[in-house]
Parts: sequence; C-alpha cells; structure tokens
Amino acid sequence: MAKTLNLTLKVWRQESAEAQGRMETYAAKDIPEDASFLEMLDIVNEGLVSEGKEPIAFDHDCREGICGMCSLTINGIPHGPEKKVTTCQLHMRKFKDGDTIWIEPFRAKAFPILRDLMVDRSALDKIIAAGGYISVRTGSAPNANNIPIRKSTSDAAFDAAACIGCGACVASCKNASAMLFTSAKAAHLNLLPQGKPEKNRRVLAMVRQMDALGFGNCTNQYECEAACPKGISVDNIAKLNRDYMAACAAEAVGVY
Amino acid sequence: MNAIVQTACKFVTSSIGRKIIVAVTGACLLAFLVGHLIGNLTVYGGREWINNYAFGLHAMPSWVLWSIRLGLLAVALIHVIYTLALQYENRNARRQYEYRNTIQATLSSRTMLVSGCMILCFVLFHLFQFPAQVETLDGRPDCYALIAGAFANPFCSAFYIIAIFCLGCHVCHGVESVMQTAGLSTKKIRPLYKIASWCYAVIVCGAFISIPVSVLLGIISNN
Repeated sequence: MAKTLNLTLKVWRQESAEAQGRMETYAAKDIPEDASFLEMLDIVNEGLVSEGKEPIAFDHDCREGICGMCSLTINGIPHGPEKKVTTCQLHMRKFKDGDTIWIEPFRAKAFPILRDLMVDRSALDKIIAAGGYISVRTGSAPNANNIPIRKSTSDAAFDAAACIGCGACVASCKNASAMLFTSAKAAHLNLLPQGKPEKNRRVLAMVRQMDALGFGNCTNQYECEAACPKGISVDNIAKLNRDYMAACAAEAVGVY
Repeated sequence: MNAIVQTACKFVTSSIGRKIIVAVTGACLLAFLVGHLIGNLTVYGGREWINNYAFGLHAMPSWVLWSIRLGLLAVALIHVIYTLALQYENRNARRQYEYRNTIQATLSSRTMLVSGCMILCFVLFHLFQFPAQVETLDGRPDCYALIAGAFANPFCSAFYIIAIFCLGCHVCHGVESVMQTAGLSTKKIRPLYKIASWCYAVIVCGAFISIPVSVLLGIISNN
C-alpha cells in the first residue's frame, strides 16, 4: 500500500465567467503518493459529488503531458513546482503530508475564466490563425537530406516546435505576455526552408494579433522559460524581436 | 512614402517596437552615465581638474550644449513615458494570483518600476540642487566647493548613495534586458551579459558612490 497524504487545498471557485470568484478550502484526505495532481483532484471531486456538492471544474485531456490541455497554477507556479512537467505529470510524492496547496486558474485577461479552474485559451489559437502556418501544401514528409538543413537549425526549429500551447508562459508572466508562445510558433516555421518565404508576413501578422488580444509586454524576466513544461528557450523571443525589426523594415520598403 | 509612415506608426505602437524604443533610450542613458562618471571622477584630481572640466563643458558652443541637453531630455522622457505606457498595459493584462510566487525572476527585474521611479525623483532633485547652488571662484564656477559642501551633509550623501544604489539595481536588469530586446541574446552569451550587467552596475555605481563617501571620509574637502 502506497503512502498516503492528508492535504489542505485552497481552490479558486467561480460558477461562471461573469460570477465573482473566491478561494475555498477543502480537505484532501488519504491521497496516495503515486496519484498525479489531477487524480488527486478526481478523488477530491468524488468526495464532493458524494456529499452532493459541485465538483471542481478543471481542464484535462491526454494526461500524458503532451496535449497542453491541463493547466492550474499550483502555489503560484503554472503546472506546479516540478520543472518541465505539465500538471498531469506532477505527482503527489512531490508534496509533504500536511501541506497546504493553493490551486488557481491560469490568470490573464486574455484567458477569461470559464468556470473554477478552466480558462478559455483560444486567444493562442487566434495567434496561430493569424500566421502560424504555411499557406501552401509543402507535401508529405520529404526523404531525409532531400532538403539540406544545418543540424543546429533543424534542432532549434524542433525545440521551438515542442511547444504544446498550454499557456503556462502567459500564466507565469507577471505581464501575461504571450511572447514565448508566439516566438516559438513563429520560430519553428521561420527557421525551416518551407516556412522562410512567408517569414516577414508571418512575424508581422502574429505579433500584431498578439498585441490586439490584450496580452502584456515582455519584460525579460524569463519566468516563462522556467515555467514551460517543454523548456522552450527565451532565445526564441530574442529571435522574434530581431525578425520583427527586419519584417517592419521589409514592410516599409514594400519587399515582404 | 506612405508605406514607410504606416509601418513606422505600427512599429512605435506595437509591443516589440515600444520595447525596442525603451531599450535603445536605455542604452543611450547607460552611455551617458559613463560619460557623466568620467567627468565626475576628475574631482579626485583636485579643485583645478574638476573646475577646468566644468568650465570646458560650459565653454562649448551653446548650440552643441543645448543639443546635448535637449537630446538627453528627449531620450529620458521617451524612456520614462514609454515604460509607463507599457507598465500600464502590463498591469491591466492580468489580475494578481492569490498566492504569489516566482521561479527565477531576479529582484532587480521585479523592482524595475520602483527603482526607476526612485531614479527619476533623484534626477529631478539632482538637476535642481547642483546648478542652483554654484559658487564662483575667480569668476569661474567652483564645482569642487559645491561637491565638498553638498556631500558634507550626511543626509544629502545618504540620499545620493541610496539613489545610486537603486540605479545599480535598475541597470543590473537593464543592461541584459537591452540585449535581449535588441535580439542580440542567446543561451550561450546570456551569462556573459549577466556578468557585464553586474560589472557595469558595480563599477559605475560604485564609482559614483565613492564621491560622497570620499567627502564624508574627508578625502575631498573644502579645507
């Protein structure tokens, strides 16, 4: 029998998008150490349902750390205290018996709360829709080395493409800036030959959409990089800054 | 021409564009500080040195002097106004967490607004204090007497030291931040920028602070 924990949860409850939210306290008893954080909430919810109370609403899907659906800010840190994991891959053995855990939704004006811990992250989809794609078919996966790409470039593109769009970067930023997300999504296409022809248009469109959606401005604290479950580097932000200047210059003289 | 104006307008209102403007003006102010410091350090050469330096500055053609002054004023104003505009948006971009926590944000980066406001108050005081009290020696302004007199007051010295300390805190994040915003930063070179930021803060601010400290210790005095 695995060791169990007794915890106190402080959870953000909010009935609807318009309702006034508040922190509520719950006891989480006999939580197995091997449970994931979301399984712990499942156990608490079963208790709430059996008492005839409303369960705590939270987002989740694959529970394998790859879909980007789970969120939660745990003790002030998106996806909790462990580095480079999503909430679903955070296990209760990272906590101690008797701990008080604060659970809040990802906070950003651009991510309106739908209910309890669920937020609407479609603002990130809108940034992608503005330019985070290649507008012609580039065919199926080419044979290896058909198009020569430098190893370091393909590595950088792949690292940027690891972004699962969970929004932890926005949630961890004191300014709710979406620069890490936008820069990663722009970089993984901009670096590769298939994405290069539309680089300037893409950068301008994505940055302008990001600004229009009410995200804050990056102040280079790099909290996003530290909170990112995929370890996306802030090098992408520096690259986006560079690319944006170049794209503006190209747009000004009409050669983009 | 129209396209250029349109793009320029979009640039100066975009998030990245405004940050670049803050970074460039910040870099100008960093450069100015070095020049200002070199001038100030002539105080260690004695009364003649700093008074000659001050006289030399004022002996420049007035259009040069006023271009520098107005240029500096414009740079400082743009830096402050753009920062406040960005800060206002940032504050509105999210509500605070009930449980506040950070992972790797430095104290310097978290206190940029506070340290910046302190520096602004200090600069206003500084501009008012020194030019208003210039004494003369042989018909020329006696900066040495002014510095030795002002910093002999421990409250004045303490205020300067605290303000310069805030400046050090501000530039600690500032130098590195300028490079990131300008797009000149990568994982490999970032530690070097961090060291450069600290070196700048310690050397420049340490040298500025050394002047009131020297007056208080009697190394620089009117006697």
